[in-house]
Amino acid sequence: MAATRRMFRSVLIASRGEIACRIAATLREMGIRSIAVCSEADRGALHTRRADDVRVIGPPEPRQSYLSVEAILAAARETGAEAIHPGYGFLAENAEFADAVDHAGLAFIGPTAEQIRAMGDKRAARALAVEAKVPVVPGGEGRDADALAREAKRIGYPVMVKAALGGGGKGMRIVADETALSEAVESATRLAASAFGDGAVYLEKAIERPRHIEVQVLGDGAGDAIHLFERECSLQRRHQKVIEECPSPAVDETLRERITFAAVTLARAVHYRGAGTIEFLLAPNGHYYFLEMNTRLQVEHPVTEMVTGLDLVRLQIEVAATGRLPLGQQQVLRRGHAIEARVYAEDPAQNFLPQAGRATRVRWPRAPFVRVDAGVVAGDAVPLQYDPILAKVIAFGEDRARALNRLVHALDESVVQGVVTNLPFLRALARTRAVECAEPDTGWIEREFLGHFAGVALAPAPELALAAAAVAEAMGLTRDGAGATGAAVPGHASDTGSVHDPFSAAGRWRQKGLE
Amino acid sequence: MRSEWRDGERDRGVELTPLGPGRYQAIVDGGAIELTVESVGDGRLRLTTGDQVTVAEVSAAGARVFVRLGAVDFVLQRESAGRRRTRAAGGGNLETPMPGVVTKVMVAAGATVKRGQALLAIEAMKMEHVIRAPHDGTVRSLAAKLGDMVAGGVPLVELDAPETDDRSGS
Repeated sequence: MAATRRMFRSVLIASRGEIACRIAATLREMGIRSIAVCSEADRGALHTRRADDVRVIGPPEPRQSYLSVEAILAAARETGAEAIHPGYGFLAENAEFADAVDHAGLAFIGPTAEQIRAMGDKRAARALAVEAKVPVVPGGEGRDADALAREAKRIGYPVMVKAALGGGGKGMRIVADETALSEAVESATRLAASAFGDGAVYLEKAIERPRHIEVQVLGDGAGDAIHLFERECSLQRRHQKVIEECPSPAVDETLRERITFAAVTLARAVHYRGAGTIEFLLAPNGHYYFLEMNTRLQVEHPVTEMVTGLDLVRLQIEVAATGRLPLGQQQVLRRGHAIEARVYAEDPAQNFLPQAGRATRVRWPRAPFVRVDAGVVAGDAVPLQYDPILAKVIAFGEDRARALNRLVHALDESVVQGVVTNLPFLRALARTRAVECAEPDTGWIEREFLGHFAGVALAPAPELALAAAAVAEAMGLTRDGAGATGAAVPGHASDTGSVHDPFSAAGRWRQKGLE
Repeated sequence: MRSEWRDGERDRGVELTPLGPGRYQAIVDGGAIELTVESVGDGRLRLTTGDQVTVAEVSAAGARVFVRLGAVDFVLQRESAGRRRTRAAGGGNLETPMPGVVTKVMVAAGATVKRGQALLAIEAMKMEHVIRAPHDGTVRSLAAKLGDMVAGGVPLVELDAPETDDRSGS
């Protein structure tokens, strides 16, 4: 795409939930008309109410709506959008989509299709990192299980078997010794073929007890790039980040200089355009290794925004519109510390099973230095079909201890009823001594915290909670539509009209039971 | 007034007796609490027990009742005769673990099933959960059909206990 040399007048947001709301906020601030898209399951959803215009693009099934290139481009044509912001997830890292947007004569607010493709193939990305002299985890490739076994022996066990087109931990297998390798290769190949359409796998030496450090970069697409410092995302459950922060407590100035230099070198080498994140593993001995590059805005971008005072979405839009970096490296300054927790509709007492339903009550903290990026308000549906993230609670402080303390209180003051969330899990996690001391590596939650949390989660509710429930029932507060006034938000019902709503009548749900 | 609750894996019961306007005695699992209740709007209750004041926020979604006491949250399930019967018959796992769409119905009412046999599959967030028979028995009824949206914590299959020996000869 030839860089447009003026600002866009309208941008279509090809996403939903909290990130679509967050992007709409920046567009509003910039005086750019925002266009939301939604599936039928999301009619009237918060992200559609935060935009200036909205188009319903298809049925709830993501393939026919948020993942439909055709439907999104049709909405863009119909509404006269000049550019498309893909958010994260869905089509954000889909090269065909970026190509299609380009061919439709619109600007894609993100990297080029070629860059998405190169970084999406984890082996190609490794090769690019090697070329840019960025350290990578010792790895091996091979055509078949025998060749891979020889490579595994060379790099030394334990090894990870990874899908070439995977990412975010999907399709990864850790193998402790030779006996388990062939089976792991076979199953990873099968999984990769079904999940990514390509069964190619490769090996990496497993770094034990690593921390996850990532560097935020911004490139102009012509060979210049800057960094916006690092983030630490070691608090993960099954490779899904739970709590993230900036800066990393494990990174000192010397390491920061080296790791951000490595990231910028790689971004420059590929002429990276827009915002991207280069992920590294940090070994206990201080060595760091390139892991992968995410060619999109990250879920955890707010912690970077809090410590730099820079709006990453605005920077993305400015780069896409002008083809230039709106600021130089020396203008990127850092102050204080920010920590984010992800609030998900999932039940920590049931192995984090995703939850859906209608939020009867939603209240976010209002406190100094606390930011909440939310995608739901009281009365909103949480559909089954999509990522269960509801919100991100972010706290800032002049140092880490103050930021963490604010996060603890902010989580206490975050209320979601009607849908089970991971808030109790986050509250317990943010209060642990290991988190306070910034000790955890990426395996810590599963290795040490989940067992401890199970004890907390299984404790009986106090008698007063039962009494309160019984009294509320007796007072009629728990009948459908009663209780929190949010269950019948004015405007919401009229916004949506006659919407197919699986959650509107709890009574109907109960009919399906056996009472 | 008696109500039955499920608190995680526990059965809990509350016997509630009105003592006067806004005053109740609640016997929870045998222990008595006297409380004064004042509705302060937006589904909030100001509970006074002795000299302690707690604000409770209560709302319901299907069988689930959400209770927030101060800054701590609890999720309780309204208990019902049907649900308790199912559990008493040997398994609690006939309940849907999450809200979802019924993607497979593998048995019909009247079918004889073996312990562990797959009965229904529910899908949400691309995760499939199979509901299996917790014991041998006969499917008395099915409360869902293919494609139905179902809530979490709802028993969709009613399974009779295996027939006893003296009746099985007929």
